[in-house]
Amino acid sequence: MAIRRKSRLLIEPPASATGDIAFNLIVFFLVCASVQPDSGRKQTIPKAEQTEQKDQQTDTISVELTRQAVFLNGDPVTPKDFGPRIKAKLDARSNPAEKVVVVKSKPDTPYNHWIAVTSQIEDAGGIVTLQLEEEQTVTVP
Amino acid sequence: MAMGDIAFNLLIFFVILARAQDDSHLQWTPAKAQNLEQAGHSLVSVVVDTENKLYLNGQEIGVGQLASAIEDQLGDAPSGERTVLLKVHQEAVALRFEPVIEAVSEAGGDLVHIVEDVKKTSKK
Repeated sequence: MAIRRKSRLLIEPPASATGDIAFNLIVFFLVCASVQPDSGRKQTIPKAEQTEQKDQQTDTISVELTRQAVFLNGDPVTPKDFGPRIKAKLDARSNPAEKVVVVKSKPDTPYNHWIAVTSQIEDAGGIVTLQLEEEQTVTVP
Repeated sequence: MAMGDIAFNLLIFFVILARAQDDSHLQWTPAKAQNLEQAGHSLVSVVVDTENKLYLNGQEIGVGQLASAIEDQLGDAPSGERTVLLKVHQEAVALRFEPVIEAVSEAGGDLVHIVEDVKKTSKK
């Protein structure tokens, strides 16, 4: 006796479930969108220590940043020339301790300018060190 | 059938709840840089938003308390698991973000600047 097998392939899901399915799909894609990994640049900044200005070595490379300009050891440099010039200076130094670059920024230096310059220093093999001016309260008698 | 849906929705609910302390609600525009790498897993995220306000893991904080708060969050985590994500709005000024970087360094965090790839933005 031949047994007829029922085909289950063409059974449609109940129409009442479409709302649930849509809701679950929305939640699924929202969660997927919110867990995208971040990408960035690692930066190793030496631990803060208080140093008086007179103690600084004279042969240290210093970079000064203003709102738009860059100064390398006091000389103004265009953003295009900065990368090759800092690389040339760092390549001439073999000792890792000499590859420290002191970065001093004016208070109004924007972050996008700062990160562009410090990235170039690190890509050239330099070690970025920040020079911050300490706030001092002076009491006038 | 409904039991499966309920279980799935509960799962999603707790996943979202677990992420409630994140900083995705904060407004900031990343700066652009080259040679980026994946930041990986991090316990601590610090944000300087468009209004120059400072946040640690989504909660507003003063720069004076930042170093000790980061130290508390990192605990005794070994080197390599002390990543601190720094998300600074591209127009924030040095007066605001440099003390933040100093605080991360003071707390012994491995600093990762979250920025946008120059190549990606130039393609848009």
